[in-house]
Amino acid sequence: MAELTDRQELNDRLNLIETMIAEGRQSTQSWGWTFVLWGVAYYVAITWAYWGNPAIAWPVTMVTTGLITALVAMRRSSGRPETSLGRSMASVWISLGVSLFLFGICASSSGHADQHVFIAVIATMLGMANATSSLTLRWKPQFACAVVWWAAAAVSLFGTVTESSISFLVAIFLCQIVFGIYMMICEGREARQGRKEGPSHA
Amino acid sequence: MPEPMPQPVTDLPELNPIIHGKLRLALLSLLSTVEEAEFIWLRAKTNSTDGNLGAQLLKLEEAGYVAMEKKFVLRKPQTLYRMTESGRQALTEYVQALKQLLGAAIDA
Repeated sequence: MAELTDRQELNDRLNLIETMIAEGRQSTQSWGWTFVLWGVAYYVAITWAYWGNPAIAWPVTMVTTGLITALVAMRRSSGRPETSLGRSMASVWISLGVSLFLFGICASSSGHADQHVFIAVIATMLGMANATSSLTLRWKPQFACAVVWWAAAAVSLFGTVTESSISFLVAIFLCQIVFGIYMMICEGREARQGRKEGPSHA
Repeated sequence: MPEPMPQPVTDLPELNPIIHGKLRLALLSLLSTVEEAEFIWLRAKTNSTDGNLGAQLLKLEEAGYVAMEKKFVLRKPQTLYRMTESGRQALTEYVQALKQLLGAAIDA
């Protein structure tokens, strides 16, 4: 009993609980690369559509990127546990991907959406997904991305075709490439801290 | 005004001996953050050996604090563990008892 009531040992137990909970939560955070990958994919699709074949540029690029994302994500998440938070985040982004794909295919094949509407809808949906993710994770930098996407949607609807295109390209650069790299830096830092403060009790 | 008498040791809560073991406590804390986890993930997070980890998980399973499920994913066997409701309850009670004991140790 004397052992059990030893203050240092009790503190050690409390610290152990905190460390393990932090370790468990850390395992769900490694998605910066997807932002960069999709940012590059958007640029590839835009470039291909502009100089090549617009009918196949977007569907082919999006499907290929979707497959790459799924494969890499499956490989990286192998052996990692599933959490409610992780599943809710995945739900948001998978739903966004399906919505964007359906909208893109239907809008381009029906011809009912001009560039203003096309970019505005895509930017609004991306803003919504970033905002949902930011509010769920309580991560302010991602909300800034949502604001940039919504601003791009507004510019696309009220501006000229050139302004619409520039706003879309800038939003992709800031919210996919820059934010994705920033996310990867944060994840790398967290992983290094995790390794440094890792468990040494077992 | 007379000073309040210190609490007798008998009034202090007892720590659940099944949870109190370091590795078992680490496992329950880890499992409290996830829905389910693979054996290899738990092993990596706790830096433990297969034998020790298996033995401690078995103790937790026998106490009804964790549930084990074996399945095949892409023909590879997977052993998954998840925390049960009674495991969650026991961990909560353990943390409360720990805080109470620490409070008493500070007051003493």
